[in-house]
Amino acid sequence: MSEELVTTSGTPMAVAITGSGGSGAVTAGMILLEAVGEAGWFGLMTRSAGPQIRGGESAAMLRFGPEPVECLGDRFDLLVGLDWRNAGRFADEIPLDAASLVLTDSGAGPVPEALLRCGPQVYELPLRAAAEAVPQGRLNMVAIGTLGTRVGLPLAALEGGLRRTLGGKGAKVVEPALACLRQGFDLGWAPFAMAAVSAPGAPERWVLSGNDAAGLGALRGGVRFVAAYPITPATEILEWLAPRLEQLGGSLLQAEDEVASVNMIIGAAFGGVPALTATSGPGLSLMMEGIGLAVASETPIVVVDVMRGGPSTGIPTKPEQSDLNIAVYGLHGDAPHLVLAPLSVGDCAFTTQWAVGLAEHLQTAAIVLSDQSLGQSRAVTAPAPEPTAHLTRLRQTSPGERYQRYALTEYGVSPMTEPGIPGGMYTAEGLEHTERGTPSSAAADHRVQLEKRRIKLDDFDYGDAWAEIRGEGETCVLTWGSTAGAVFEAAERARAAGTPLRVIALRLLAPLRRRALMRALEGARRLLVVEQNQSGQLFHLLNAHRVLPPTARRFARPGPLPLRPGEILEHILGTD
Amino acid sequence: METATPTPAVKAKDYKSDITPVWCPGCGHFAVLSALTKALAYLGLPKEQVAVVSGIGCSSRLPAYLDSYGFHGLHGRALAVATGLKAVRPELTVLVAGGDGDGFSIGGNHFLHACRRNMDLTYIVMDNEVYGMTKGQASPTTAPDWSSSKLTPHGPGVRRFRPAAIALAAGASFIARGFSGDPSGLTRLIVQAIEHRGFSFLQVLSPCQTFRPEQKDWKRQVHSIDAGPATNDVEAAARIHADDGMALGLIYVEALPVWQPTAQPSASLAEIEQELRR
Amino acid sequence: MSASTPQPITNVPELLAHALELESESRERYRDLAKGMSLHNNPDVAALFEQMAAYSELHARSVQVRAQGYALPEIAPWDFKWSCPEGRETPCLDDVHYLMNRRQALELARHNEIRAREFYAQVARESPDSQVSALAREMAEEEREHVNLLAQWISREPVSAESLLEDLDPPHLPE
Repeated sequence: MSEELVTTSGTPMAVAITGSGGSGAVTAGMILLEAVGEAGWFGLMTRSAGPQIRGGESAAMLRFGPEPVECLGDRFDLLVGLDWRNAGRFADEIPLDAASLVLTDSGAGPVPEALLRCGPQVYELPLRAAAEAVPQGRLNMVAIGTLGTRVGLPLAALEGGLRRTLGGKGAKVVEPALACLRQGFDLGWAPFAMAAVSAPGAPERWVLSGNDAAGLGALRGGVRFVAAYPITPATEILEWLAPRLEQLGGSLLQAEDEVASVNMIIGAAFGGVPALTATSGPGLSLMMEGIGLAVASETPIVVVDVMRGGPSTGIPTKPEQSDLNIAVYGLHGDAPHLVLAPLSVGDCAFTTQWAVGLAEHLQTAAIVLSDQSLGQSRAVTAPAPEPTAHLTRLRQTSPGERYQRYALTEYGVSPMTEPGIPGGMYTAEGLEHTERGTPSSAAADHRVQLEKRRIKLDDFDYGDAWAEIRGEGETCVLTWGSTAGAVFEAAERARAAGTPLRVIALRLLAPLRRRALMRALEGARRLLVVEQNQSGQLFHLLNAHRVLPPTARRFARPGPLPLRPGEILEHILGTD
Repeated sequence: METATPTPAVKAKDYKSDITPVWCPGCGHFAVLSALTKALAYLGLPKEQVAVVSGIGCSSRLPAYLDSYGFHGLHGRALAVATGLKAVRPELTVLVAGGDGDGFSIGGNHFLHACRRNMDLTYIVMDNEVYGMTKGQASPTTAPDWSSSKLTPHGPGVRRFRPAAIALAAGASFIARGFSGDPSGLTRLIVQAIEHRGFSFLQVLSPCQTFRPEQKDWKRQVHSIDAGPATNDVEAAARIHADDGMALGLIYVEALPVWQPTAQPSASLAEIEQELRR
Repeated sequence: MSASTPQPITNVPELLAHALELESESRERYRDLAKGMSLHNNPDVAALFEQMAAYSELHARSVQVRAQGYALPEIAPWDFKWSCPEGRETPCLDDVHYLMNRRQALELARHNEIRAREFYAQVARESPDSQVSALAREMAEEEREHVNLLAQWISREPVSAESLLEDLDPPHLPE
């Protein structure tokens, strides 16, 4: 009998499950996350795998508790090994220490050295024997049961999570699984007291992945047409959207490539229907010319880039925040457009919806930079809010005699007609054009149209959502995208330890809200820019806009490993 | 009982916009534009219900010369834009216009898949076997021994792209060939292409006076297909195999499954969000 | 292009419909050519084509006057009974060049009038209807006058040694 896990009530608990060759580590993780949902808690789950298509080694990593969880934290409290074949590959992603526990089956063989090097305690249980006692029994279900007691999840929540995850497979699968679950539960230690919050006391929560959330944001924003080409790790956005678009009377078209995808959504948007595509870095590179056409022809589109390790084919299954440069600078010519980045799994919904509204209203292209760690992580999280401003397309439904599609207006946005509106005929143009839309190489036309496309974005009032700002203090950390979660947690720890910290997590990266940012930075003496890429892309972008003082530092590290709160904190409190 | 006021029929000349084409006087594309306006007038299509999508090149300038909706997009990508537009607005008449370079070189991949998808689009390729707008390079339909371009001074040395054969292999359901020097024949083919339900591919031989002056001779080389079109792909393959590239008329017409999203709403967004709740 | 001889015209309304189409098409084509020549900086020929367009407009109006009282049939664009690819009087598009001179433009117009005259003459010969023949003969005679007029104008134009001046500048590439 090992020691009780000593954790302060309310602190989230981090658990990892590894296994190989069809042992079901990921399924176990999904069930656990759903159980967290049933118990009224919050949680986050991410996955990792070997390169094999099937049968490879895989890991599910979770963190959960009674309060919202924004990142995976620095370490894992508990590692459950369904078996130990090649599990050493996950050592970097599952940091353990002397206070961690490794749970293993009595007959599973030695725990890989890489996982033991930081001195966790190893505890053995007869998991396989318990599984074999149940006809069609599986070890991973026993493990969940055991795990559940260790982290204080009630049996009812575990059973609920199992039914939700495996229900679709029928009683032949569910019944033995439940039996194993109970066996495992009975094997467990005395439950550690982390109080389950049961409904109706539980706050309203969603269970979804970042990719699901992006899809939801698109639908909320009015998207009813998607054209896309499958690519890891964005494909789930398309899978989630395909049936649901149809349910709402829209459609998804699987295109022949990414170039076709971006041009198809331009056609749909030209036809009056908000349209979106989703891809990753390589696809975004292919789409650059098309995105430029959307900007020049002032046709609204949204491109979601679920970033992965780059450059080129890179590391498709791992996150990285290294597409900021191409998102901001990738278009040839002076082509102002929108770049946004969600800050969490749930924020993928808010940010994508906002992007759709902005693109439609400002008649431009919006790139949403999600990443693999958001896209393919699943969370139990508070429902995402919706943007307060209801942004829609400025339509011209009764055009006058000489309708001019690209007329110069005070705010730069000229009302759009669409096919079917009598008298509103125009030819949308990628060539530079006059107010009417006729191709022009004249200096004056280029100047005024460039200015039109610039001011409509620069002078727009984006409200408060351009960044999430927390805390106060002379020390300020700037970050963006998925790193925000770990930065917020680091800041919390700093504050709890007596060091006030200001965090600015940018959601709108282009056009950069320089004035608002300067205001938010007032009084900050020490600045640190934190991001997950090698070259410090946000750091350079901010410098280009002359936002940072010469003393500003950066903590920039490429993927595949996430930036963790502990190491961020070290950098924050580090050398001046 | 209300009687709708009949919309006055639009005359062919009224489909033209007030913008003078930049094409060289003598260019074959003028006849295509003219035939197109006659076809639209014959079909009685309201201007606002027609959209012409093009890429880049001399022939791709066409949308601005019509008083309908238009999209002048990227080189080679017109079919993709048109596909997106038609997917969301099936009631529109969507025409796609471009040249042999735009359509068969950079646009080749989209051409294959558009034929295969068989959406109700009409694709008119004005083929002058040259890249006119970029100063006269060989295009995929240029003969292997044409040596008048500095880029390929010994001639391209590569066999010609065969649009009709490739359209057939890719699954097109309507394949026809017209000639700018036969405007009334062309008008009829355009009407038939638009009326055909599915992807209609109409290749129009349209000489380039500036870079291929020898194409003046085409009017002596073209000849009519005197039979009706082939109505199945085996027959079509035989016709195309025997085709000298100068036969004018309907080559192949068959009713094949047309792709078009038709989903009717069956749930609300609130119901979709409900699935996520715990 | 069909080499077959078209069916003869059998009634007056049909003939008038053809005549109207002939003149309207001619007017549209000359007008487009005038705009094209103007854009391509050949104002002399542009003016000339505008003049030709105006004449075609006049001729079209006079056909409309003749057509009063008749219900003209709707004829599909490809069903007109001319044996050459398009309207007999419509200038062939490929015979123009932005460097053509007035003389060449007039030659083009004369050629079109000749074809129109031949069309009416053929109708007059081949129609089984005597009214049609009579009217067609009148119209042929009018066209003959146009041909002569143009021949006079041509004779006033200087003859140049080369058929077309060469443009020494290379072609421009807008895209």
